[in-house]
Amino acid sequence: MEMDKLGVVTTFIHNIVVYNIPLLYGTVGEIVVEKSGSLNLGVEGIMAVGAIFGYIVGCYTNSMLVGILTAFAMGALMGLLFAALTVSLQANQNITGLTLTTFGLGVYFFVGNAIKAVAWPAMSDYSSIKNGFADIAIPGLSQIPVIGKGLFSHNILVYLGVVIALCMWYYLNRTNPGLRLRAVGENPGSADSVGINVKRVKYLHICLGCGIMGIGGYYMGLNMSGSFNSACWINGYGWIAVALVIFANWNPTMAILGTFVFGFFNTLRVSGSSLAVAFPEALGWLAKVPTQLYQALPFIITAIVLVVTSVRKREGSGLPAALGLNYFREER
Amino acid sequence: MGIHIVKRDACPLWKKAVLYVAAVLFALVIGGVLLLAMGVNPLAYYGRMFTMGMVGNKIAYKAFENYLKVFVPLALTSVALSLAFKMRFWNIGGEGQFIMGAIASATVALKLGPVLPNAVTLILMCLAAMLAAGLYGVFVAALKVKFGTNETLMTLMLNYVALYVLTFLGDTKADWNFFLQEKSARPVFESFASFAAFPRIMLGKFGLNICVILAFLVGALVFVYLKYTKHGYEISVVGDSAGTAHYAGMKVNTIVLRTVFLSACLIGLAAAFKVGTAGVLSTAITEDVGWTGIIVAWLSHLNTAVIFVVSALISMLHYGSIAAAATFSKVDSSFANMLQGVILFLVLTAEFFIRFRVVRNKKGGKQ
Amino acid sequence: MPEQYAIEMRGITKRFGTKVLANDNINLNLRQGEILSLLGENGSGKTTLMNMLSGIYAPDAGQILVDGKPVSITSPEDAKRLGIGMVHQHFKLVDVFSAADNIWMGREKSGFGLNRRRYDEIEAMAKKFGFDIDPRKKVCNMAVSEKQTLEIIKVLYYGAKIIILDEPTAVLTVQEIEKLFAVLRRMKQEGHSIIIITHKLNEVMDISDRVAILRKGQYITTVNTADTNEQELTEWMVGRKIDLNIARPVVEKTRPLLEIRDLTIKNDEGATAIDKVNFYIRGGEILGVAGIAGCGQKELCEAIAGLRPIQSGLMIHKGDNIVGLPPKAILEKGISMSFIPEDRLGMGLAPSLSITDNMILKNYADAKGLFVDRKTGRADAQRIIEELEVVTPSTETPVRRLSGGNVQKVLLGREIKAGPNVIVTAYPVRGLDINSSYAIYDILNQQKQDGVGILFVGEDLDVMLALCDKIMVLCHGKVMGVVHAHKTTKEELGLMMTGALDLTDKYEDKPAGIARDTNITQEQLKAAQEEGEN
Repeated sequence: MEMDKLGVVTTFIHNIVVYNIPLLYGTVGEIVVEKSGSLNLGVEGIMAVGAIFGYIVGCYTNSMLVGILTAFAMGALMGLLFAALTVSLQANQNITGLTLTTFGLGVYFFVGNAIKAVAWPAMSDYSSIKNGFADIAIPGLSQIPVIGKGLFSHNILVYLGVVIALCMWYYLNRTNPGLRLRAVGENPGSADSVGINVKRVKYLHICLGCGIMGIGGYYMGLNMSGSFNSACWINGYGWIAVALVIFANWNPTMAILGTFVFGFFNTLRVSGSSLAVAFPEALGWLAKVPTQLYQALPFIITAIVLVVTSVRKREGSGLPAALGLNYFREER
Repeated sequence: MGIHIVKRDACPLWKKAVLYVAAVLFALVIGGVLLLAMGVNPLAYYGRMFTMGMVGNKIAYKAFENYLKVFVPLALTSVALSLAFKMRFWNIGGEGQFIMGAIASATVALKLGPVLPNAVTLILMCLAAMLAAGLYGVFVAALKVKFGTNETLMTLMLNYVALYVLTFLGDTKADWNFFLQEKSARPVFESFASFAAFPRIMLGKFGLNICVILAFLVGALVFVYLKYTKHGYEISVVGDSAGTAHYAGMKVNTIVLRTVFLSACLIGLAAAFKVGTAGVLSTAITEDVGWTGIIVAWLSHLNTAVIFVVSALISMLHYGSIAAAATFSKVDSSFANMLQGVILFLVLTAEFFIRFRVVRNKKGGKQ
Repeated sequence: MPEQYAIEMRGITKRFGTKVLANDNINLNLRQGEILSLLGENGSGKTTLMNMLSGIYAPDAGQILVDGKPVSITSPEDAKRLGIGMVHQHFKLVDVFSAADNIWMGREKSGFGLNRRRYDEIEAMAKKFGFDIDPRKKVCNMAVSEKQTLEIIKVLYYGAKIIILDEPTAVLTVQEIEKLFAVLRRMKQEGHSIIIITHKLNEVMDISDRVAILRKGQYITTVNTADTNEQELTEWMVGRKIDLNIARPVVEKTRPLLEIRDLTIKNDEGATAIDKVNFYIRGGEILGVAGIAGCGQKELCEAIAGLRPIQSGLMIHKGDNIVGLPPKAILEKGISMSFIPEDRLGMGLAPSLSITDNMILKNYADAKGLFVDRKTGRADAQRIIEELEVVTPSTETPVRRLSGGNVQKVLLGREIKAGPNVIVTAYPVRGLDINSSYAIYDILNQQKQDGVGILFVGEDLDVMLALCDKIMVLCHGKVMGVVHAHKTTKEELGLMMTGALDLTDKYEDKPAGIARDTNITQEQLKAAQEEGEN
């Protein structure tokens, strides 16, 4: 009996990771984009486009790697669209981002419905996708009681997400291209004056960031076992990612922590009742909480974080100074 | 040989018109190619879409009534948002404010509708919706004023909070939940169409919903408000330079709170119109007007009259695609979303050519 | 064989929009190893021309030769490769970066990893050029002169042989300018060719080998500095012989209109911006405020206008305490404040609104009913356009579209229209050409003769010495003394601005900044004291 209870906790921790890693992809991607000085509100649409193409191409080729690459490429393509409009054509970033969401969701359903009309590929039919998404236990670490199985036995995309986050932290803070990227996001005029190609830096990192978001979308599709219905796979995660960027203070490693915090509440929605059953006395009340509250909680928490950070006006904010402003060299 | 871009001072009206029309046409061509690839005749599809299925339709008046049902909330929401945008307050919380307004007006309809005369119920519905939406909006403005909280992200978050409140009401069977039908075992929203519905002026078979007239009236009032009143003047000064407004002795915080409240109130009014016309709540009651309204307001350069024109066109796109889907079952309404995206991308491109000129770098300099 | 220049610009033309012709067929050359002054009034196209060398702007027509070879400079990257470096007037530095990172970010072929050794490398390199900097210090913590030094090091580090400096002395004290000039002379000896943009004639005479003059976007001439003088240069610069003297009419002074006692104000960062300051303004006098940029001038102006809360002290207007009053009430007492910030449009005007709409900014609320009264505003706008000779297509033109001088005329015109008794004006001639500046001085003198008390926060010491009756010098928020303008010198003011000279106790019989015939009552003083103690 006691073991069962711990098993519930393990499953709970496991679920936090499994269901919320897409947030990490979205957040890290958006951090990279925002560090270049662009506020991209199209995360939801970009993830959706990455998801649908990644899933379908991945299944057709029966290769998860191709799926990942396709998701990345399609995300990057959406990024290219955003960059072309905002960097080259000086369009308003908010409007472009929102339009990208509408457009991306349109593409998602359009392509999805078109494929469904012919034959929808079921994930279970594609062995290497199914197996590729299976959990891999890290030797040693996964043997730790309770948390070992919860944290260190996951599918390859979970590990990839964490690795990308750590790499992006390193890239931003410990490399020369990262330094130049931050310079562009802080003050494109000064970056330009020392010979940094501002447009190229922006284009590259918008595409890179959006590509990362695309992989996050692909993950969501796989995690839904690829069942396509009237609700989009992304289901608001893109918007939470926009919020998480602030929570993480534009720091990719903090994004990992943020994903856990948000994921915790998100997971209560799915697995709260099992905790209530396992610990009826301590956590029985969890079963009575409406699921919509859990759904709303990430947004409520971000709202609170937003207010708290604005009240504290803390030093060392990672907010890029030129965020949301288009750069035009000949501005007078 | 290189090129560079320079800013224009002004662009003649005819050139603007040509660029905008070209952008839309080009988008339609791209959509057309897509339709061809699906084996659908684009001319037939677009014909169906832009006539909204009214041509050769015996109940065309019905289609136009339905079109107006899409148009009114969008136009009014866009007008409302333009108030806040004029002040450079990025209220992207139209969705949330709309939902709060809808819930409030449905509450009034269900609780008071059966006992009060229809007209009184309707007025109370409007007031309740305006109050609820207004408070939901002004909350963010207060945080912005007090702590400098980023309003773009805050309103964004509150959209989702409102949405989950609405789905909670729509999914939860309980004794207290008067929003749902008592008799149904599954959760279904209760209808109040029989005792709380906006009247229609019958023009032959066509019934002109009074909300249409009211929406135009509100639009005209907002136009005058922004252009000629002291409040409108204050809004433009605060939007242009908050420092200058402060310097001129304006109570900037009060102006921000007042304007955002008003903006959200009008979104609430749009919700009341929607609810009072539909006669029932739904979890998709907003039909994304909070999002689309932002784009409409921006594309219209916050000009009230233009907002009505752009709203009419966008509504045509949305409603038309639904109408067309009846004939062309292969093309669902996601095509309209995509098409809207392409149109907007190209319009944004057109705006680039309105604001800038591309110049080739000349060589030489020999006289 | 023709001389091979370091830089040769031929027939350079640059337009902004359809109306503004910033550079019209300009020819300019820079010899190897010389210092060339580029002289011209503001708006004469100096910066625009140089920005085409540094790759910020692309010329519409013309040719550029570097070391005799025709080149195409389409980006700052190209300029860097050609060995051209520019120190911009508004520093192009990333505030949150360290000194080293600001230089390092533009380094080519720096590899992937960000090496910690960069700090040592930058420091050693700076030493080699004879500069002493802390490579780890963040730009946001630097003083203005440090930032400028960093900019120069940056340019040198990238291997520039041709160095352009845009108004480098504008933000420096007299002593710092000397240091800068020493650096420039050394760089010249090391073989660098230098262009320095300025409109200060004494500096031109001091530092340069030759002078090139621009006027209203046209190239005028280039002369050897040794063969010319200030008077001649001025004539070329402004196009006609003008009187360099600014009038200082003698007017009978009234009792103090505005008295400031023990005023302490904090800036936005919470540091003390104004520290226990005493002064007073009488009607019929112009009190100048001199000081290096950012020494509390802005905070002082804002506090008087009621835009910024004060920490302690008294502000007495005609005997009434105005501390804590809202801006509107202070306005109604007849205190007008106009502040021209660096971008020229930040405070006092709404740039996207028309001249008419800007006219009614301060009194729109007086109109009866719900609507604004644009009719009166339009009439006022029309009158100011005529009286102050504002160049504009119409009263409905957005202020943003006007040129700098016209914007400032609109602003001052509106302030004077309200009939104030105290005018606080900061940098009213910032960025104006000489003719426009004189128009502004005339307006201020007219007001002075009408018995208005004027607080003039300025930048150009020569102007202040000529225009003001008295000059108060601020250094880091403290008053270093109030001196009579006709009894002091630029050198003395310079020393006071840097804090090297303190003249607050110059007059032993009278505490500095306190009028003998004060309007301040004992009760007011006592109340202020008690408040300070609490």
